[in-house]
Amino acid sequence: MADKILVRENKVRRHNVSVLFVHWAVAISTILLIFSGFGQMPMYRRYMVYKIPGLGWSADFSVTLYMHYVAAAVLMFAVAYHIVFHVLRKEYGILPRKGDLKESYMIIKAMLTGGKEPPSDKFLAEQRLAYAYIGFWLLVIIVTGIIKVLKNLPGINFTGNTMIWVTDIHTFATFMLIFGILAHLAAFLFKANRPLLRGMFTGKVDLEYVKHRHPLWYDRMVKKQAKSPDSRERAANLPQDMTV
Amino acid sequence: MSLLSRRDFIKRTLAAGVASGLVLSGLGKAAEGATITPRGTFYDLTKCDGCKGLKVPRCVSACREENSFKFPKPAEHIEYYWPQKKKEDWQDKKDLTTRLTPYNWTFVQHVQVKHNGRTVDVFIPRRCMHCDNPPCANLCPFGAQGKTPEGPVIINPNLCLGGAKCRDVCPWGIPARQAGVGLYMKLAPRYVGGGVMYKCDLCYHRVKEGKIPACVEACPRGAIAFGDKEEMRALAWKRAREIGGYVYGDKENGGTSTFYVSPVPFELIHEQLLAQKKKQPNPTAPGFPGMPVGVGNFLDSVNGIAGALLVAPLAGTFAAGYAAYRTMKGEEDHGG
Repeated sequence: MADKILVRENKVRRHNVSVLFVHWAVAISTILLIFSGFGQMPMYRRYMVYKIPGLGWSADFSVTLYMHYVAAAVLMFAVAYHIVFHVLRKEYGILPRKGDLKESYMIIKAMLTGGKEPPSDKFLAEQRLAYAYIGFWLLVIIVTGIIKVLKNLPGINFTGNTMIWVTDIHTFATFMLIFGILAHLAAFLFKANRPLLRGMFTGKVDLEYVKHRHPLWYDRMVKKQAKSPDSRERAANLPQDMTV
Repeated sequence: MSLLSRRDFIKRTLAAGVASGLVLSGLGKAAEGATITPRGTFYDLTKCDGCKGLKVPRCVSACREENSFKFPKPAEHIEYYWPQKKKEDWQDKKDLTTRLTPYNWTFVQHVQVKHNGRTVDVFIPRRCMHCDNPPCANLCPFGAQGKTPEGPVIINPNLCLGGAKCRDVCPWGIPARQAGVGLYMKLAPRYVGGGVMYKCDLCYHRVKEGKIPACVEACPRGAIAFGDKEEMRALAWKRAREIGGYVYGDKENGGTSTFYVSPVPFELIHEQLLAQKKKQPNPTAPGFPGMPVGVGNFLDSVNGIAGALLVAPLAGTFAAGYAAYRTMKGEEDHGG
């Protein structure tokens, strides 16, 4: 596990470089995919977006389609990387668990009313649900997108209603994904969630925050690090970059 | 025929491999249509005279009559395409037979071309070419268009929202838009959608019954032949050899199921058509197609990177394997 209490820094390493890479590769490619996908609708000429300075290219289908393909390649690279990386390392902490719906409700209620939250693991219950939701729609989009790419190749024609279903599921899934992304971003309206935001850039979160909000995770890390006091000591003496 | 380029060969091999895989896995419904052979059309431009003496060529009037039941029946009040102050409404020009409109799916162009010291009159019936890999159908964002196993590329008027992208990606700008009709009228007609796109469907209702399209049947000079696509292709090339002429439609847009044979080069025809288009009431409007020789397919550039796209997940898998191995090893080293 990359997770580690960095005593000297008073922080906890929450994400390694791979996780940060996947998150931002997925985020950026998805934004580009949504923008270029809307360009394929077609929307930017009709709604005069192309008249906005700097966006003249947006009404050109060949440009937005090329962008869609390149961003799709980045997304699929990142998603494949993500799945294989965590399966090999047997890291399944972000997968939903039984009772997550109820726990999410309790966390959100606590955030709204200022009450006490149930103790969380490394990921909050609603993070696990959000992950499953966004992950599911991304996979639907990728699978239908691959079929759409194949169909564009010479020699491949899907007849009947196949392409209607594939195309419309691709579009529907996109709207579901956009809804998920908005909800994901809305989480940061709550002050309680903001320390996690910095973690998504630096990979680290404050130790005090973890103790207070993720006690289950904290306890596990303490136990794990206590098992090998050697390494803990060694870690404390190492330069920060090497405390992986 | 020109030799297959290496890039084309790789593309086609990739396509064939993937297609057979899909058919085997049951995804490709095309397998069901395996017994249906694609149809094609051969226009012998040495025979067409545009039905001289008639106000409207026979193929054009036959098409209008045969397909009138499919023509748009728009609402009385049609909104502009917000935020623009325009709409594509052809109701008042239903009788127009000198260009493509939602009510006129074929028309005959006439050019005079100077070639080898003589002036040749060429009459060219024009309509959808029914491409082999139609960008119009492939790129429709709602799957409202498709290529049938028989060859015709058809638009589903119940699904089309009239975005007109199909017209933009068609090298000839064939589909024509009529506002005030179709699915968008049930959604938010002022803000979303623009109508329905209309074009020749090769009389698909007739073709399905084993009949020939109305235009072919109506031609008094036998200038249009319709049948097995490969036979039509062979017929076209044979005729071209006979007259020392030229073929159009075999390579254009990556291949179509419409083959024109002319006694004069199509480059010259295209030049004349462009000159005529400039004299149209609205020279930039579609509906008066040229004949650009060897025009490429809109999908060529993205298909060029399709291979890289499909390899991306594989690359991600390998990179993850390497990274996971490195980090796990690293953790062991640090005793973590």
